[in-house]
Order: sequence, then structure tokens, then C-alpha cells
Amino acid sequence: MEIRFHGRGGQGAVTGVRILATALFYDGKFTQGIPMYGTERRGAPVVSFLRVGDERINERDLVHEPDMVVVLDPLLGRTVPITEGLKKGGLVLINHPKGGKETGLGGKFKVATVDATSIALEVIGRPITNTAILGAFAKVTGMVTLEAIEKAISEQWSGRVADMNVRAVRKAYEMVSEPVDVSGVKPVDVVKPVPGDRDVSSWRLFKPEMDKGKCIGCRRCYILCPEVAISMVDNKADINYRYCKGCGICVEECPVKAIEFVQETI
Amino acid sequence: MAKFEVMVGNKAVAYAAKLARVKYVSAFPITPQTTIVQYLADMIANGELDADYVNMEGELSCQSSAMTAATTVRSFTATSGPGLLYMHHPMHMTTWARLPLVMAVVHRSTKGMQPDQMDTMSQRDTGWLMIECQNSQELLDTGIMSFKIAEDERVRLPTIFMGDGYILSYTSEPVELPAQEEVDAFLPPYKRPYPMFPEEAKEAMALMSQMWNPFVDPQNVWKQQQEAAMNAKTVIREVNAEFEKWFGRSYGNGLVEEYKCEGVEAVLVAMGTIASTAKTAIDQLQRDGRKVGLVAIKSFKPFPDDDFQRIGADVKAMGVIDRNVSTGTLGGITFTELRHSLYDLDERPMTLNFHAGMRGKEVRVEDIKRMAEKTLKAARGEKVTPLVEWA
Amino acid sequence: MSKPVPLSKLDEKEFIVPANSACQGCAGSIVARIVSKVIGEDMVRQEVACCGPAFGNITQPVFYGEVFEGAGAMMTGFARAFNRLGRDDIRVTGIIGDGGTTDIGFQGLSASAERNEDMLWVCYDNEAYMNTGGQRSSATTKFAATTTTPVGEFSRGKKERKKPLPILVGVHRVPYMATASVAYPEDFIGKLQYAKPVKGFRFIQVSAPCPTGWNYDPRYSVKVAKEMVLSGLWPLYEVVEGALRITYKPKELKPVKDVLRSQGRFRHITDEEVDEIQGEVDEFWGRLQEKDGGPLF
Repeated sequence: MEIRFHGRGGQGAVTGVRILATALFYDGKFTQGIPMYGTERRGAPVVSFLRVGDERINERDLVHEPDMVVVLDPLLGRTVPITEGLKKGGLVLINHPKGGKETGLGGKFKVATVDATSIALEVIGRPITNTAILGAFAKVTGMVTLEAIEKAISEQWSGRVADMNVRAVRKAYEMVSEPVDVSGVKPVDVVKPVPGDRDVSSWRLFKPEMDKGKCIGCRRCYILCPEVAISMVDNKADINYRYCKGCGICVEECPVKAIEFVQETI
Repeated sequence: MAKFEVMVGNKAVAYAAKLARVKYVSAFPITPQTTIVQYLADMIANGELDADYVNMEGELSCQSSAMTAATTVRSFTATSGPGLLYMHHPMHMTTWARLPLVMAVVHRSTKGMQPDQMDTMSQRDTGWLMIECQNSQELLDTGIMSFKIAEDERVRLPTIFMGDGYILSYTSEPVELPAQEEVDAFLPPYKRPYPMFPEEAKEAMALMSQMWNPFVDPQNVWKQQQEAAMNAKTVIREVNAEFEKWFGRSYGNGLVEEYKCEGVEAVLVAMGTIASTAKTAIDQLQRDGRKVGLVAIKSFKPFPDDDFQRIGADVKAMGVIDRNVSTGTLGGITFTELRHSLYDLDERPMTLNFHAGMRGKEVRVEDIKRMAEKTLKAARGEKVTPLVEWA
Repeated sequence: MSKPVPLSKLDEKEFIVPANSACQGCAGSIVARIVSKVIGEDMVRQEVACCGPAFGNITQPVFYGEVFEGAGAMMTGFARAFNRLGRDDIRVTGIIGDGGTTDIGFQGLSASAERNEDMLWVCYDNEAYMNTGGQRSSATTKFAATTTTPVGEFSRGKKERKKPLPILVGVHRVPYMATASVAYPEDFIGKLQYAKPVKGFRFIQVSAPCPTGWNYDPRYSVKVAKEMVLSGLWPLYEVVEGALRITYKPKELKPVKDVLRSQGRFRHITDEEVDEIQGEVDEFWGRLQEKDGGPLF
């Protein structure tokens, strides 16, 4: 069994895979959790892999034709071909607030959804979805027990942090949807970023919204935007959302509070 | 007009840089290299050479600054032993950026001040070309040729020319100085190999993505470097032949120098000053009717495989003298590389190895004659042991 | 002497590609953008190992730096070679992290300063090796938790105080040395504009907080930088040919306590530890004020 995980730097895809690999081992399996090598940065798309077998796994290349894909970020599929190589009849488990047929994914596979971001924000207080998704994984695959996941989590963290993550796992276990067949669904196109013109809009969880009526043209947000996503149009700040990662610096630095930070809807 | 001057090896090296009209020299003292950069400092102070001379704070910086300077002007640096070890990291970068920097190395052991080849052998796989010299004249000539080899479009690899510390660096002998005009005609002005001016941003970007982009094929950088080093075999022969035309001197075919090898049954293989001393040994042995010659390795990188296959097919035994050790491997480094070259022959000669001259241990004519006799014994089909010995 | 530049005076021209692969709220990105904007088309850049490859999408020529320790030497080579060919118009500029400046690159920094090489060295200071996952550097503030100075039963975070690099560079008597902060872009731009045409060694160390390594919400990157200036943790000053001048004087320094506690890396620190840092900040600020307007030493 081979599984590919898609997430973003900072969402804990690598840690999540390691916890799952540990939990599966406690349930009697041999596992191999592989992080994609490279320098990951918070928000940038990252991949990791998990192999599960009955004895030590010798294969040391990456997973190219997974049986299952786990996606930690609802918008990742817009820029990353997350179902590439997925075996026919395979399964996608995705962090998404809507049903399996409304995720923009379509093809000869099934999709299960869980709103792991909402669960994480509610239970942990931060949008780190790597543990919540494991509860959903346990439910939809039946490969691993909740007890094993909880044991693996208690080895990764202790005290309050461990408790919160265990609660997130349990909640996701309850909330995950049944996998649905999406062979009839037309998939939304994946638009890979063109070098030199990066679209980082899918990094955002929150979006800065500018009230141009309030903007005094002071240029503070313009000069402080780390992405150079703000330009001055008629002496008013103008946000190019393709280039905005939603860090919120402009929101914080606007001297007249002309920018609001609103949660992205999907 | 050419003229002679009696000078030490280090001065010959300094003259090579001067006659090549280098524009950037990075300097740091280390025995036995130090006087090279002292001579260059004097030449600049006296107005004989127009170059930027920078007293760096260590060899790592000597290498790093000469590397970036070489993007724009002809650059030179020099070092020895531990200094070369300290350059190791940026040396890999110089080949990555494919900058034709030329550096002189005056061999110094990595364990003591006296010479052996452990300094350059420790840099064997940095991608630099390495050309060895036997005397001061050869140092000067090879220095000039090194710029032409390194800067050739087919090569574009940094190049070390090298000779033994003390034995060459501080020994005086007559050296013929080529006329500046003739060197200018032989070695054209430096062509900036790397677009680094602000107005060349687009070209710089294109070059960078071609050379450094790991997404096309991560192995590309190595593949191209290897092709360039193999091209260097041809280029070195050409440059050696052209040098002969201009200055009346050449060094074998540029890659190897075969000394009195006609009709011999066995050859000794050696590098640098040991090869030089071996010529005397061969003279004496042939006078006594022994059929043994000498092959001096001039270009260690690229390694002259083809020449050794040709020579190996004609002799019954080869005795390799190594002023280096590869701990944990049977035999020295040139011995290993030579045997690798011979592998594809249908009939291979017997090969013997002698570790000699480590940490400056004197290698005498008598020592070399004894090695030759052992090699001749092997050529006669007699059993000789050990295969590898500490001479 | 530098003068703050009102943001209204900036033109629209950019020398950096929008959006990068750095973390959300990366203040190093702000430094790279501002440097590229001010030095503009005269710039040739040296990079060394740091987060720069993630955010330094500057459209001017760059020499990539596998040689982490070599910033000073590599810029020396460029500066000398360009000068040889009469290209004095080129501004050899380094946008170098604090590790590549204060630790592994320090020898080359000091040597380049001593030789007064013609280069502009901008250190973006996020107080740790962030590109490798937040390991302590000599620029890390005392008591900060980093991945190599974790907090535990037997450890209180970093044991040593932050290396006073601006002063160390200042005593080399270079033509220009300044501190700056991303929270004060007018001041930073003014310093860059002053430094740009100056011949010789110019150095600006810019405070650039890192949400990932310092553990705070990315939206507060500039706010954290500002509070560091307002509390005296990162005073803004410059040294021109040996003479020191404070370029921004808060009327009264804010206590460091709240500033430190707002960063996850200091969440563990005790009142005594806060007092220790406060004492050092007060002392340093006092000395700066004494020296203000006069020689650094």
C-alpha cells in the first residue's frame, strides 16, 4: 500500500506522516514515512509519502503510483496535480468543507472529505491539519486504530498539546464523509505556476480586503508587502491577489485601518 | 627577444602569471609557495605588471575572490599543501561556475612542510585540470599554456599547474624567458566567460538556468564538466604543439612525455621531479643495455588513458612510482588510474607500484634504478614481490 | 549622514519578481525588495546560503553562493574585477543572512572591511539559521529558544548575548555602517540611498523578524520589528567615518518584557531573565546616547 500526502510547509505533513507510520507500526505493520527532500517553507506546497507492508520495505525511490492520496489543504489542487498517478479505483482523502463531488476532483477514484481546517481552528486554535486528517484516515481506511494514533501522538507531544491533537483526531474520525465515486465529475483544471509569475493565492487562509475609500495613499502597505503584491493605482493601494499569500502584514500596518482580514471561503 | 635568467622555480611561476598579463592576483603566504606572490607583489610595485593584487585573509578567500574575479578578468592565485586543502570548498564552486581560473600549486605534504602530492590528490575530484612540471622552465611554459587550455571554449575549466616544493620552488636553474609580444600572440586577451554586468542580466539569468538549474537534470552539471575535461585531452595536445611552434619547446604530447621508450620491454611511470630524476636513471640503465624507458605523466587530469593503452600494449611491465598514498586502497593513485586504463587491453602488461618521496623523502637515482630492475624482472616473466612496495 | 526618504518619493520601478517561495510574512523578503528598489539597475548581487534563494527573485545578475563562508571574498573579486574594467558604476551588493555575516562569514566580513573593499553588505538579521530550520547563530538574542538551543529542564534557551556586530564593523572605521529595521522603511531607504554612491565598504544590518523561527503570527512581522526598535532591543543608528549618530530616538523606551513575551521563542522566560535583558538594553542605550554625535570610540 502506497500513499502520497500533499500539504503546505507548516501544516505538518511530514510530522503527520511520521505519526501515522508510528501508529501503523503499533498496529502490527511495517512502514516507511518519506519526506520529500528539500528546503520547505511555511506555505509552500510539500509532498511526503507513506508505504505500508508486512515486513521491512526495501524500495527506496519515491511513490509515483499511489493507492491513496491524502490532501491537507483544500486549495492545493488548483496548482498541484494531486491525483497524478493515482491508481484506478484509488482513494482521495481531502481536507475540504464540502462533499466529495464538490472538491473539483474527478476521475476513476473515490473522494472522502473532512473539514480539518475548521476542526483544527476550533480545537487547536491554529490551522495545522496534520493530526485531524489522521482521524479521518483511520475511519475511511480502517487500516489503523484510533488507539494507535493516540499513542503515537502522545509520544510526539505531551500535556495540553497532545490532548488537543487527540481531540482533533477524534473529531475528524466522527466528521469525515463516506468516500464517493467521482468518475462522473468533471475535474477543475490544474494551473501550474509559470516560472517568474507565481500564483501564490492558494496559500491564503485569510484575505486582506481594502476599503479604497479609507486609503490615504501613504504607501506603507505598498513598501512592506513581502510579495510586492501591492501597487499604487491613482495613489490608492491596490492588491494583486495572485501574488498575495495572506500574511496580514498590510492589515496590521495600515495606519487608518483600511484593510480588513477576512477568512477565505471555498 | 628571448633571454635567459637563472631563477628559482617560484620565480618562473611568477613570470608565467606576469607574461599572461593577469589582472587579478589573490595572495596569502604559505611555505613553500610564498615567494611566488612576493615576486608578483614586486613586479606590481615596480610597474612591470598592471594587476589588482589583494592580500587576502586566508586561502579560502584567495580561491573565492579569484573565482569571482575570473568572471570578468584573467585571474591567478597560488598555494601549497594545507592552503590548498583550505580552498577545497570554493574549488568545487569554481568548476560548477566553469570559470577558467589558473592556480599554481607548489606541492607540500598534508603532514609536514616537505613535498608530496597529497595536496593536489586530495582535490582530485573537484573537477580542476591538473598539470605537473619537472623543472623551472616547464613551470613557466606550463603556466602560460594553462591559461590557454583553461580558457578554451571547449574546456572552460579551472586549471592547476604544479611542481614540487623545495626541489623546484627554491632551486635555481637557467630559464628562458619568452618575449612578451610572442606570449601576447600565443595567448589572446581574456574573453569574459560569464555575463555579470548589470546590463547583461538576461544573459546571466539564461546561463545560470542552463548551468545550475536542478529541475532539468540534476546530473547535467557533472555531465558537462566531464565532457569538458575529456575535451581537454585534445586541447592540451593542440596547445602543446602550438607552444612548440612559437617557443621551440614542448612537453611530450602535452599529456605524457615518453622518454627513451623505443624498443623497450618495460617502462617506469612517474610524475614531476621524480620523473626528472628518473631520466638520469634511464640514461644509465640504457647505457648498460637495459631495455627500460620512462613515461612521465604531465596531465594528471585529464588522465591520459589512451596514451597508456597504446604504451601498455607495447611493453611487458610497467613500474609506477607514486608520490602519494590512497589509504585503504592497494597502491598509489596514479597506479590505480593506470591499471584502470589498461583494463580494456586484450593483453595487459605486468604492473608494479612504488610509494616514494612521501613527505619529501629523498628519491635518488639509485632508488629509481632498483625500481627499474624490479620492473624489468617482471617483464622477463619472473615472479616479483611485493606488488606494491614502500621504496 | 543619511536622511529618511518619504515613501511618496519612491518611483514605481521594481527589480524583483512579485510573489516568492518564502514563508508568509517573511521580513527578509521586505529587505530584498527594498534593497533591489534602491540600488536598482546598478546592482550585481552576491548570494550565499540563506533564505535568499526563496525570496531574492531580483532581476539583476547574481552569483549564487554555494560558498557560505565566502561573501566577503567573492564580493572582493567582483568589485576588483569590475573596477579593473572601469566599471565603477556597478554596485556590488550582498544580501546576506546573519549566519553568513556574524558567524561563518565573519572572517571575510572583517577582512573586506579592513581592506575597505568597494561593496555594500546588507545583512538581514532574523537572528538564527532560518533556512535550515531555525538554529542558533551568534546574532540570536540571549534566552531565545531555537532548534539548537531548546528550552528544557536543563536549558534556558540561548546562553550567550547577541554579538554586537554593528559596533564591531563600526570600529573597522569603514566609510559607512548603519543599523536599520523593516519597520522603519523611510529610515532604511534613506540609509541605502546614502550608502549607494559611497566608495568603499558599506554595511547595513537590518532587523528582519522571522515568524517561522520566532514563533509568532506572520501578520506581526513588522510590528515585532517596530517594538524591538521602540524598546531599544534594536536601536537605529549609523556610523559615518567613525562618528556615531542615533537616527531614531524614541522619547522613552518601552519595557522589553511585552516585546519579548509576544514572541514564542521567549515565551518561557522568567522575570529575572527579562530583567537581565532589560539591564543590558538600558546600558547599551545609555552608551549610545553618550556617544551620539561624537566618535564611536
